[in-house]
This record gives sequence, structure tokens and C-alpha cells, in this order.
Amino acid sequence: MPNQENRTLIAFFYLCIGVFALICLAPFVLAVSGSLSTESRLAAEGYSFLPRGFTLETYTFMFGSKAEQILRAYMTSVIVTVLGTVCAVLVTTAFAYVITAKGFRFRNSFAFLAYFTMLFSGGTLPWYILCTKYYHLDDTLAGLFVPYLMNVFLMYLQANYFKSIPHEVIESAQMDGAGHFRIFFRIMLPLGQVGLVTISLFYALQFWNDFYLPLMLVSDEKLYTIQYMMYYMMANIQYLASGTNAQISGVTIAPPLESAKMAMTCLTVLPIAVLYPFLQRYFVRGIIVGSVKG
Amino acid sequence: MVKTRVWLGSALSAMLLLSACSNNNGGSAGEQTAPEETAANGSNESAPEGLKPAKLKIVLYGEESNRMKELSKAEFNDIIKKEINAEVEFQFLPWTEYGGGKTDLMLSTGEDFATYTDTNYMVKSVAKGLYADLTPYMDGAAAADTKNTVDEASFKAFQLGGKQYAVPVGNKPNSAEFYSVLARQDLLEEVGMSAITSLAELEQFYDKVHEKHPDLVGYAATDARRLLMYEYTDKNLYWLNDFLAVDEAAKDDQIISWFESEEFKAYAEIMRGWYSKGIIPKYAATNSPQLQSDWNSGKAMFWAGTAARPFEGAAAITQAVPTAKLTNYFLSKDLPNISRGTYSTAWFVSANAADPERYVMFFNLLQKNQELYDLFAYGLKDTDYTIDENGRLTRNTTDELIPDWLLMNKNFMRFDKSVPDDFIAQYKSWDDGAIISKAAGFNFDNTPVKNEETKMNGVFSEFLAPIASGFLDYESNFPKALEKLKTAGLDKYIAEYQKQFSEWYKANQP
Repeated sequence: MPNQENRTLIAFFYLCIGVFALICLAPFVLAVSGSLSTESRLAAEGYSFLPRGFTLETYTFMFGSKAEQILRAYMTSVIVTVLGTVCAVLVTTAFAYVITAKGFRFRNSFAFLAYFTMLFSGGTLPWYILCTKYYHLDDTLAGLFVPYLMNVFLMYLQANYFKSIPHEVIESAQMDGAGHFRIFFRIMLPLGQVGLVTISLFYALQFWNDFYLPLMLVSDEKLYTIQYMMYYMMANIQYLASGTNAQISGVTIAPPLESAKMAMTCLTVLPIAVLYPFLQRYFVRGIIVGSVKG
Repeated sequence: MVKTRVWLGSALSAMLLLSACSNNNGGSAGEQTAPEETAANGSNESAPEGLKPAKLKIVLYGEESNRMKELSKAEFNDIIKKEINAEVEFQFLPWTEYGGGKTDLMLSTGEDFATYTDTNYMVKSVAKGLYADLTPYMDGAAAADTKNTVDEASFKAFQLGGKQYAVPVGNKPNSAEFYSVLARQDLLEEVGMSAITSLAELEQFYDKVHEKHPDLVGYAATDARRLLMYEYTDKNLYWLNDFLAVDEAAKDDQIISWFESEEFKAYAEIMRGWYSKGIIPKYAATNSPQLQSDWNSGKAMFWAGTAARPFEGAAAITQAVPTAKLTNYFLSKDLPNISRGTYSTAWFVSANAADPERYVMFFNLLQKNQELYDLFAYGLKDTDYTIDENGRLTRNTTDELIPDWLLMNKNFMRFDKSVPDDFIAQYKSWDDGAIISKAAGFNFDNTPVKNEETKMNGVFSEFLAPIASGFLDYESNFPKALEKLKTAGLDKYIAEYQKQFSEWYKANQP
């Protein structure tokens, strides 16, 4: 039974959390309201929590000329996210299993190789050459997720879950004649489920939010993802509006600037915002379980 | 046993991964198809004799319109094939990748492509050996038409050490860029004035309009050193960058340190007056992008002008103010216009391109004749555009093809019905009597003073730009700003610039 002091403290904490939640929510409300405001009033009076001069013009502008492209980009994003997450989880957990397998002599070397890439990277140019000249990932669907198939941090996270599974379980399975594939798929994966969900969510977010891979490896418009479309649009609008191009073009254009940004933000955030509340507990639980048991 | 299996597993999964990646490379495999294969597909019956089939990749920045996608696969492709026996692939990149980013990566990895550049980007890239030397193709048939329709000075601007590294596009009157006042003629007439010929009249224009429409901004920018030049000096100044200028009226190679000059002081004082008076709005100090937005939405009285701005910018403003009209005025002008060559954009070819000459032939095609210019800039006659009996253009689609600002050639370009005849005449003769800047074609190599330049740019935006725009008072703020600039290395920078410029001037002036 909480006494009076506790109650006050709890009320205080709730207040703090409430205020913090409001602070976090404010930018989203501003984005939604900005996307529904008229550009001229937005420019003149700035943002507000309620739309200034309510209009759907920005959404009409975006969907008017680009409905088909936006839908296709959504599809590509979904495919990349699903396919990418499944493959990435498979590769990551397999690697995590290998470096935790007790009987494997080179597991430390493997772990070191992975760890090494956390500290040093080859740089953009060698990466680009490797992806385009050797793996030929340019302009392919695989190019949108293969380079991100293993995130070393998440691999270590998963390895920690695996380490928390008592070795006796594995030993008894081995005694009953199970091989590594069976142990991995039938024992490790089901027992490391919480970790699996956590890294899946991280991967899914990463694939959904990524615009770097399409920027670097894709020139075929059919393979644009929704985030890349947003990046592309914003990059062009900002570049042209900044006037830095005056030297080369000297052309004046007036795109819907702020409101377009906000509308595109809403469109890209929407799926995550809808799914997140249902999946959020896995994020928290996953990380805590890993940290305590690991 | 266990070890073997784990090793086997790892090896298998690695192979699986690699094969998954390489199975799907339809696009890039296509790129590497032997040229002979395309020759065999029958569509090059009318291809010019003696030219082997070639594949070219042209990178453009911005968004590819739907119409561009259609035309590039059909009509553009056919005509290019017919004329130069090449297949062209257009690749579009976001504007942020211009002059760096992915463009740099593509250059560094030796991809075979061509795109456009400006002189700054050219100097940097040529130093790294990333551009192909196009000199051998300049005097032959490959560039023959471009040579006729594009001004010679524009070619010079893209030469380094006597070699041609890029081929200028377009031929656009661009002398006296930003030296004129682009005024809202409709407002001018509304307050009973007809023209602006001096600073006094410009300020009178502001006062009268401000009285009637107090919500309008006066000048929609923060830099007016060029358009006000005729007021504060007798020199004919041409700025090399933010710090340095030359006097085009003097026949010497003397570089002027702009901020240390008396002219800067006089200019800063006019600007201070404008700021205090409200001609430049108060918010300009913290939110300068808003100025352009205000101009575009018809909420400003005047701007810095260029030859083309009266019609290029009109479209945006007339959306907000249908009666808006724009006119260029020079203040007390009795000096010749300065030109840096007709255009500042040029095509370059990557150093690893298999057939640079064919790229040059493609650039030439874009400026070859009226018919081809119309096709690449406007599309198909009667489908994408119509031309009335007066030669005026009406476009049936807003989709952009090869960007018209990129092609813009005063010999070929068409105007729509809203542009008055006298404006077209003025536009075409804009460069008449203009002088080519004595610095045109000089490209400064900043390597020896790179650090100084970076520091100076920092001092410029923090301390000098606010004085130059009138946000801060010259008398009380300038000494400190100059001291900072000197500490950053202004003197060393000027000395280096003067040295390189004098050497170049000696070698290039007749």
C-alpha cells in the first residue's frame, strides 16, 4: 500500500513523464498541422498547433502528380522492410550463434572480425566500389537491403541472449543427436525469441527509414523507397529554394516548401506511428532482458 | 565433425548471399552489353556511316518528369541514334548530389558518364584527374555546331592550362547579372512613376509604395552591391568572390580588396540607411530565405535583376498577383555591362569514358539547330507544344524535358504569348556593347590558401555580411571585423590571388 509520501512522489513522476511526453508529441502535432496549413500563412505567421488556413492543397499537390509513384514507393519500402528484416535476422542470429557455439574453435576470431568493423570502416569509396563493381548491387532490389544484413551491435545483442540460454539445454539436445541446424532452429531461436523480436524491430525501423542505399545504389525509379522519395523531394526543394543554384541555373521556382516537407513527413511516419504502440513493449523488454541476463 | 559443419554452414551461407546478389544484376549487365549487340537490333539503319554504335550515360539533376521518361525512350532515342549512332541513358540524381556526393563517387570509381559542371567544380575535379580532356574534339566536326551557336568566351571559361575540360551549354545573355534593379512595374505605375534611373528615385518609389501598401517589403535580398555600384563609385567593379573585385574600367591586373576599399564603406552606409528605413525588412537579419519567398508571393517591391528575370520570375509572382509586371532598371548607368562569357554551365565527360568524342557529339546535337533544340527543350510539336503565327510557344504540358535553363540559347529559345515583343528585343540585344570581364576564364587554385579561405568565410558570414547588409553599423563594427579578417589570413590570401591572377593575366591578355 503506497503511503502518502509515495503517492506524492508517484504523482510527481507522472507529471514529469506527462510533460516529457507532451514535449515529444509537440513536433508531430506541428508537423501534422503544418501539412494542413496554407504555405503563405505558414511563411508569414510560422507554425502553430492548429492548422493556419486549413487546406488539403499540399496533399492534393503531392498525390495529384505522384500518386502512382508514391504507392509504388510504399510497396518497395514494405517489401524491402519485410525481406530485409527476415534476411538480416537470419544472418545476424546465425552469426551470433556461431560466435557463442562452445565447440567452435575460431569463434573468438569471428567475433573479433565483426567487432573490428565497429571501430574501423573502409570508407564510402571502397564500399561503393565493392557494392557496384564486385557485388553488382546497383539497381537491384537486393541492393536495398543486402549491405545492411548484419548490424554488429544487434548481433552482439542477440549473442547475449544466446549466452543466457543454459548450455545444458544444448548439450542434452546434442546427446539426443541434434545437429547445429536443428539446435539453432528448434532450440536457440525459440528460446531467444525476445531478443529476436527486439532486433527485428530495430532492423525493420532501419530498413524503413533508410534512404542512403537507394541514393547510392539505385537509379531506376521503380526501386525508389518512400523515404528516398521524401529525401529526393526535400533535397531538390531545399537546393532550389536556397539560391545556391543561382550560379548554374538562375531559375526562380516556388514549390510549396514547409507544408510539403511536413506532409511528406506525415506520410512516412504514419505506418511506424500506427505500428509502434503495439510493438513498443518488445523494444523495452528486449533490451532490459538482454542487459540483465547478459 | 562439429567444426566442419559450422565451417561448411558459414561457407554455404556466404555463397548463398553472393549468388543472391549477383543473380539479380539485370541493369548493370545491360550496361556492359557489347556495342555490337545493339548494332544488330536493326534500329540503326539510318545511322551515320563510319560511326560504331556507342552507349552514353547522361546524368541530370532534379526530378525526371513522366514526359521525359516517355520521350527519352522513344523520340529522343531515335533521333540520337539517327544522328550520332548512340544510345543515351538519362540518369536523374537529387540536386544535393551536384558537384559532390554521388557524382564524385561515380567519377572516382571510373564510371562512364557525362553531366554538367561549373568552373569551381571543374577546377577541383580536374586537379584530381576526374574529367576527360576534350581538346582534341573541339576543332573537328564533333563540336562544329556548338562552336557556331555558343560564344567563344564561354569555351575559354572552361579551359585549364590551355585544355578544354568542359563544353559550355546554351547561349544566354548574362552580362550585368544582378547589376540592375528588377522593379515591380505595376506598383511603379500605381504610384504615378514611370521609370527608375537613380537611387533617389528608387527610394522615392519605396516611400510612395510603402505609404499605399505598408505590408510590402522593399528590397527582397540582402546583397545590393552590384545594383548600387553606379551610385557609390565611378569604377566598373566586377566581383571575383565575396572578398575580391577588379575594376573593369582600368586596364591593369590589380585586384581590389573589397572590404578594405572606400567603396565598401560607401556601400555599407547606403545599406545601413536602407535597413534603418525598412527598405530591407528587420526579419532579413535572421530569416533571409523568407525574402525570396516574399518576392515570389508578390510581397516585395524590387529585387536584383538579370536579363531573363523579368520573364523567368514572372510566372511565380503572377500566381499571387495576376497584374504583376517586372522591369529591369539601371541606376545612373553610364558604364558598359560586364560579362563573364555567355554561360556558366558546361558539360564534362568522366575521365574513364570509353568514347569522349561521342559525348561531345551529343552535346553538339543539343545546340545543333532549331528543330533539335525544340525537340529536346519542348518535346513534340502539336503534342507537347504549339507555335502560333508569331512564333510564340504554348506548352501543353508542364513536364520538364531536358531542363530549358540548361539548353537556353538566345538563337533558338522561344517565348510564350505573355512576353511583350519589346522585352524579347531587349533580351536578345542585352549583351550588345557588353565587355568581357578581364578575369573571365581565370580559375583560382585555392590549394595554397585553403585554410585561410575557410577561416575567412567564417569571418565573412559572422562579422562582415551583417555590416554589408546594413544590419550593423559600419563605423562601430567594421574595425573589429577587419581585424578578424586579417587574423584569418586576408593578406596572404590576396597575395596568392594576385600572384596567380597576374601570371594568368600576362599570359592571356593581348
